[in-house]
Amino acid sequence: MKRIYYTRRKFVKLSTTAAVGGAAIMSGFGFPKNAFAQNQNNNRTLKLGFVGIGGRGTYHLNCALGIEGIEVPAICEIIPKRLQQAKKRIEDAGLPTPRLYGRGVTDFKRLCDNEKLDAVICCTSWEWHTPVCLAAMKTDKHCVSEVPIVLTLDEAWQIVETYESTGKWATIGLEGFGQLALLNMIQKGMLGDIVHAETGYIHDLRFVKFSPDEEPWRLQHSINRNGNLYPDHPMNKMLPALDINHGDRIDFLVSMSSFGGMLNDYAAIYYKNKNHPLTKKKIALGNYNASLIRTVNGKMMTLIHDTSTPHPREHYRIQGTKGLFLGDAYSKKIYIEGLSPKEHQWEPADPYLKEYEHPVVRNYNPPPRRGGKIEGHGGGGTQTPLIWHRLVTALRENKLPDWDVYDSVTSSSISPITEASVANKGKPIDFPDFTKGKWKTNPKITLV
Amino acid sequence: MSKNYDRRNFVKLATGTSSEKSDPSGEPHSEAVSSQTRSGSKTIRLGFIGLGGRGSYHLNCALGIEGIEVPAICEPQPVRIYQAKRWIEAAGLPTPKMYQGQTDYLRLCEQEDLDAIICCTPWEFHTPACLAAMKNGKHAVSEVPLCITLEEAWEIVETYEKTGKWATIGLEGLGDQTLLNMVRKGLFGNIVHAQTGYIHDLRLVKYDPEHEPWRLQHSVTRNGNLYPDHPMAKMLPVLDINHGDRFDYIQSMSSNSVMLRDYAELNYGKDSLYAKAKFSLGDYNASLVRTVNGKIMTIVHDTSTPHPRENFRLQGTKGIYYSEERMIYIDGLSPEAHTWEPAEKYFKEYAVPRQAVPPRKGGVIEGHGGGGTQTPVVWHRLVTALLENKLPDWDVYDSVTSGAIVPLSCDSVTAKSKAIDFPDFTKGKWQTRTPIMPLV
Repeated sequence: MKRIYYTRRKFVKLSTTAAVGGAAIMSGFGFPKNAFAQNQNNNRTLKLGFVGIGGRGTYHLNCALGIEGIEVPAICEIIPKRLQQAKKRIEDAGLPTPRLYGRGVTDFKRLCDNEKLDAVICCTSWEWHTPVCLAAMKTDKHCVSEVPIVLTLDEAWQIVETYESTGKWATIGLEGFGQLALLNMIQKGMLGDIVHAETGYIHDLRFVKFSPDEEPWRLQHSINRNGNLYPDHPMNKMLPALDINHGDRIDFLVSMSSFGGMLNDYAAIYYKNKNHPLTKKKIALGNYNASLIRTVNGKMMTLIHDTSTPHPREHYRIQGTKGLFLGDAYSKKIYIEGLSPKEHQWEPADPYLKEYEHPVVRNYNPPPRRGGKIEGHGGGGTQTPLIWHRLVTALRENKLPDWDVYDSVTSSSISPITEASVANKGKPIDFPDFTKGKWKTNPKITLV
Repeated sequence: MSKNYDRRNFVKLATGTSSEKSDPSGEPHSEAVSSQTRSGSKTIRLGFIGLGGRGSYHLNCALGIEGIEVPAICEPQPVRIYQAKRWIEAAGLPTPKMYQGQTDYLRLCEQEDLDAIICCTPWEFHTPACLAAMKNGKHAVSEVPLCITLEEAWEIVETYEKTGKWATIGLEGLGDQTLLNMVRKGLFGNIVHAQTGYIHDLRLVKYDPEHEPWRLQHSVTRNGNLYPDHPMAKMLPVLDINHGDRFDYIQSMSSNSVMLRDYAELNYGKDSLYAKAKFSLGDYNASLVRTVNGKIMTIVHDTSTPHPRENFRLQGTKGIYYSEERMIYIDGLSPEAHTWEPAEKYFKEYAVPRQAVPPRKGGVIEGHGGGGTQTPVVWHRLVTALLENKLPDWDVYDSVTSGAIVPLSCDSVTAKSKAIDFPDFTKGKWQTRTPIMPLV
């Protein structure tokens, strides 16, 4: 418990409404979803605070400003230029000038203390995600964080406990669930019972890690840590497909890393200097990391992390008792026993993906976005992203976000657990049951 | 090392090849088979033990090669052994001596004067047949897996070192030689990770009492990677295992076992013996294996779920090959950053020509794996090694290393995926053994 900014007494005082009888209410599944599930507040104004406005923060701010009825009364960012740019964006959108919090890395606490907001959107560097979430939750705000939401198991439990005592949630709710058509097929049983899923974060980030303008803090994680440092993107596909925390849960995992050194090699190229200090700096992260994860119901995941070798992006392979899907950006294939025309031979997956398009996607018809193209890291679109629309709806209707607290911390907890396994020669490490048994009765994730 | 095959002997025998030292171009040479086969080659005498689908195939291959005699065959099933006998006679060879008892391979090994035996029995007899051969002055060529316990693996190594007679999975091949050539020439940089598996829906085969009635039982009694050698044939050479690197430890995990039971219920009824069997084998098994030099291998075993076959993914510090779509990406070479390009161009550029083989006698090769009309390169290379008194492509150490995945993965699965140390069968020689590259 390294990072406690708020004592329990203080936040109970602050979070008056939600904390009342928190434990009792929480014992039944889905309290917030059911308790306030009336749609009378459908278009009420939402007040969002933004903490961290770099590439992703800019993108999310841009998404938010395109949605009718959202206000951004407060923003927090340590780099003055970014803070001013964000302020201008908000003014340009016709909203009142926001209050600026720019007094250093912990100024988000002042923001949380002073502002009355529905939620905080946290896009800081990784190590501040949990502190920002906790500060928000303890001052009566929900918190939506970029991934990973936690870096340690202590942080994961703090988030869970704070949710259970305040009723305010933290979420990686802007992650989505991968290709929803595929999830739809899986949930309809097209592949039978899932046996094994495999994907990873396979993304050559050597350039990003050395780019001082973008994420100057990112390289340090590779210097200090060895394991799967970025599990959430692959987990957002696999967790719902395997019903993790919703009928099944992760039992244990083992993790293995290869030799490292590619980042040192890259430093020589990047700095055009074979003797640059970073060419000799000891870097903990192996070039390739693979983890095997087993669920209590006996399903398996193979999860990969490779941000150093040269490659196109990862693929996703999911095998069930009746068939399997294998796809990447380049091609998507499927084989279903008894349905595919030729025995043990692939057929293109696209017709299936079209047929099984998720109703949530098929019926998505958001109000037109205000402003033009979305800017920032991930931008380019002209429509409000589905996940933003769903997040805003959840906030307005007082429902849980798509990724609830338990699923969110489960996803990010892969990191510290893989690190512990790698450090102990691949020792199997038990996975905590953040749901404390509720995984047995939690229904499958459905988005409707 | 053996008496018969010490280094001096090799150098003497392998006239016409350079020694195993690197040549000035920096290309490593294995203890290569000479390109000049000795003229007027002597006859090679082979005994066949086990003449089912694979045994029939190998016998058929052998009978197509000039100068091979098959004086003895061993097989408990009359239909099979008489077919083999007829094939041998039809090839114009003397009628073979027939051994028809379950353990008659022992008698065969004791009584016959042979250069080598070819072993295609059920798995559990591979090591016993090999040991019987080696102890009776014969080399042994086995179907995979060569061994199914670590004790067997060590016994094979020790018997080789004592007798000088080798046991090999030498008819496995060493994967795609052109791909191996790319690796050797550094196209992918240093290899970081390799992944493939034996992903082959064998539910039908496992319940087929005609062909391999013994096979199902392994799925009843064991949980791990039961059939590692086909994927290992691709990965072991590219990872330089036992030739500059070695396996350090393995971790293995299996999913639940439901597919075989469901299949039996569907096809034989809920009350059938098959459906009531308690299967150990998880439907999906994956193992992570780390080398002492820090490379990683992911090896998969899935013989129960419905699927097309496995693919091969090979990642190095400079690029990656992915067999699923036969794609390559090489840093700085591929036209678009982080985007696949068809591998064809590279396969042409690095092509290793198929080794020329003498014309085959007889027609189409029969048996499991048959269909071709040419002597398979692995068979030609095996016969050449026997003729020239050289080691086979898969030496004893590499052969048992490949098979050792079976017991080690089972041990790890049982111990909740715990890391299990991999034995160093070479006893340190992996550090000086040069990389395998048989055809270049």
